Amino acid sequence: MKTWLILLIRVVSIVIGVSACFGIDWMSHNQVAVGPGLHFAILPTNEYISRIFALAGLYVTLAVSLNLINGITGQFSVGHAAFYQIGAYLAGFVSLTYYGFMGLTGLPWLLAMMVLGGLGAGVAGFVVGLPSLRLRGDYLAIVTLGFGEIIRIIVQNVDKLGGAYGLNVSPKFQMIWLIWLLAFVCIAVCRNLLRTAHGLPFLAVREDEVAAAAMGVNVTKVKVVAFIVGSTFAGAAGALLAHYEGFINPGTFAMDVSFIILTMVVLGGSGSITGATVAAILLSWLPEFLRGVKNADGSALMLSDSSIIAALLATGIGVALIKRFLDRPPFKWRYLAVTGCFLGALVLKLVIQRLLNLSPALSVAHIEAGQIRMVIFAVTLIVIMLLRPQGIFGHHEFSLAWVKGIWRRLFPRRGVSA
Amino acid sequence: MSFPIMLFAGLDFPSLPQQLVNGLELGAIYALLALGYTMVYGVLKLINFAHGEVYMLGAYIALFTSWALGFGPGKMAAATNNPFALVVMLIASMVGCAVIGVLIERFAYRPMRNQSRIASLITAIGVSMLLQYGGTIFLPNSPPPNISENVNPYRGSIEIPIVPRNAALKAKELALLKVSDDDEAAFNAYLQRTGEGEFGVSAPGIPLRDAARASDRAYNQAKNAAEATGLVITVETGQAIIFGMAVLLMALLSYIVRFTPAGRAMRAVSLDFDSAALMGIDVNKIVVFTFIIGSSLAGAGAMMTATFLGTPLIPFYGLVPGLKAFVAAVLGGIGNIPGAVLGGILMGVAETLVVWAGYSSYRDAIAFVILIGVLLVRPGGLLGSAKVEKV
Repeated sequence: MKTWLILLIRVVSIVIGVSACFGIDWMSHNQVAVGPGLHFAILPTNEYISRIFALAGLYVTLAVSLNLINGITGQFSVGHAAFYQIGAYLAGFVSLTYYGFMGLTGLPWLLAMMVLGGLGAGVAGFVVGLPSLRLRGDYLAIVTLGFGEIIRIIVQNVDKLGGAYGLNVSPKFQMIWLIWLLAFVCIAVCRNLLRTAHGLPFLAVREDEVAAAAMGVNVTKVKVVAFIVGSTFAGAAGALLAHYEGFINPGTFAMDVSFIILTMVVLGGSGSITGATVAAILLSWLPEFLRGVKNADGSALMLSDSSIIAALLATGIGVALIKRFLDRPPFKWRYLAVTGCFLGALVLKLVIQRLLNLSPALSVAHIEAGQIRMVIFAVTLIVIMLLRPQGIFGHHEFSLAWVKGIWRRLFPRRGVSA
Repeated sequence: MSFPIMLFAGLDFPSLPQQLVNGLELGAIYALLALGYTMVYGVLKLINFAHGEVYMLGAYIALFTSWALGFGPGKMAAATNNPFALVVMLIASMVGCAVIGVLIERFAYRPMRNQSRIASLITAIGVSMLLQYGGTIFLPNSPPPNISENVNPYRGSIEIPIVPRNAALKAKELALLKVSDDDEAAFNAYLQRTGEGEFGVSAPGIPLRDAARASDRAYNQAKNAAEATGLVITVETGQAIIFGMAVLLMALLSYIVRFTPAGRAMRAVSLDFDSAALMGIDVNKIVVFTFIIGSSLAGAGAMMTATFLGTPLIPFYGLVPGLKAFVAAVLGGIGNIPGAVLGGILMGVAETLVVWAGYSSYRDAIAFVILIGVLLVRPGGLLGSAKVEKV
């Protein structure tokens, strides 16, 4: 009784999710006027927003697949953009040259390219992984970082792949639903892996390699499998990116893309699939949101130097104070104190800005708010790491039991000790 | 059999010694930066990703100091003959970078010290991004400014003859240089007098122009002929100063690390952080000291490259050198001071050799290729030793 109910809920939610994605596709490409109610929903109705949706989906795939390597198996890989790039260029190049091969066109072709990109990146993951997984910790990080750079530089110098200019991928397939389906499959694979006996060795390797080996886990095999699965998903995401954008260049896969993917994993909580997903959506949306900040009359919001300096100073002081409270043993008014610090920082920012405005050079507005989006991104990163180093979700996954636990902690039942 | 011959066929062997000298100078800069990475890693086991940005800020501090000394845009002071400005810029860069390094340590790394290493690493990446993108707002960057060459009194070059040139050809070269200069001066005087441009010369000027071009060509031919007879390495004075200062600073560093109480404490902390604290070493003080030394070395390197090589400054100035220096540190065995120097020199020489061999677009890749090769054979780096994990 209960089992089939859960199954039903799952099927219904998948159907709703996929059809919502189809709806997004349909609306964004036909530019159909939707009912006024839907405008308030987050459903995208133009190219720009649908692009953010697509990129968010790709980043979810990337972050969750890197999470399998980094968070679940504990191997510190920083070169994920390289596999993304291999998938994108392989699929893009093949699509450009051999489109229509064996009579495949349209969706079957795109699916074939996705598989091809995934396989290519998976093979690359195997080739890189097998020798370099002998290294540990920081050294593995450096080797994967270096591998990413090498791939990028080689692609930059191969004229057939468009060199530094980039590659125009000719049949464009803008299928957001497929991107989100890939993300969904990636999440499902990782989650189900952890629920089965095949997944336990991954966790064992993360917790203690030596102990895992003593228990009979084939450590090398586990690491390489994690690497291959992770890079396969990244390659498939790359193939979809190439066909979504219709143009890829080496700059799309620079080192900071790898860092951003890594950031998503750590920010969400290393090892938590939910965390990686949420952080990926958040971080792909945040810079775009900041790009579009406008005044009430629609003109671009201009900031003065004084306002930026004041904001940075106030953030620093506020974070230092909050950290002081968080590091102490818990006391009764702790959360109130933290909230007070947040509000205090806001007031402090205004005070500092007023003081700085005494100097006319600093108070002249001349920076567009969109330009400082990367600064805000960096500050957000530092602040979250300082205040919550285990990431937003820690090791937790989203589940009903977890929500129930939080609810119980926030509102303990009377007479029941926590 | 023919493969190696093909490989070496296009190489310009007579210029190899010159390239090696250039590589040494580049390597000295990488070594200075790599020392900062390796010392911080040795003490904190943290990859200080913001080190490249400290280097970038050092270059900007040198720029601002030169402006404050009167070499700014618009009110350019005349070329000086005394190194006063250089010394002031060097000190300002080193002190400024030390302060920045300590601030980064205090406000970003110290609160993270008890957290997982990956969290500290993300913080380091965050600080690095903050400094880069903050720089695009607050630092002058379009057009990219560079330090005026008038600051630098040492602008000549030193010629080191390895195989002396043919004296007769050399004399001919010098004679032709004089003729060429005279013709050039005559043509320039004509242009000045008539107000014509070089590409719009009227009939009376054409013979003068042709004479100037012909004598210039003759001079270049004679110069090439003379150069082909001998082997001379040209070292710009600036390059020599960079190399000399780098060696001096590294010697000073190794003295501090090996023979002073602070250096001994530093070695103890890098050997075992917790035990060192138990033995009564003020660990925080040593960490701050490490950051001071590492950052001021980066500042010195930044000031010297920005001044003597005159590179335009942008907020991403430290990104590539920082990455390569970091690779150099790992190559030599991270945490190992002689290893960082060795790795830096190797990295610099390898990079110039790649450029010399005609693959200049791969100059950024070679660092990583070498690194991966070395790490796969010696996982602890060249001079480092891989730790064996004990249960």
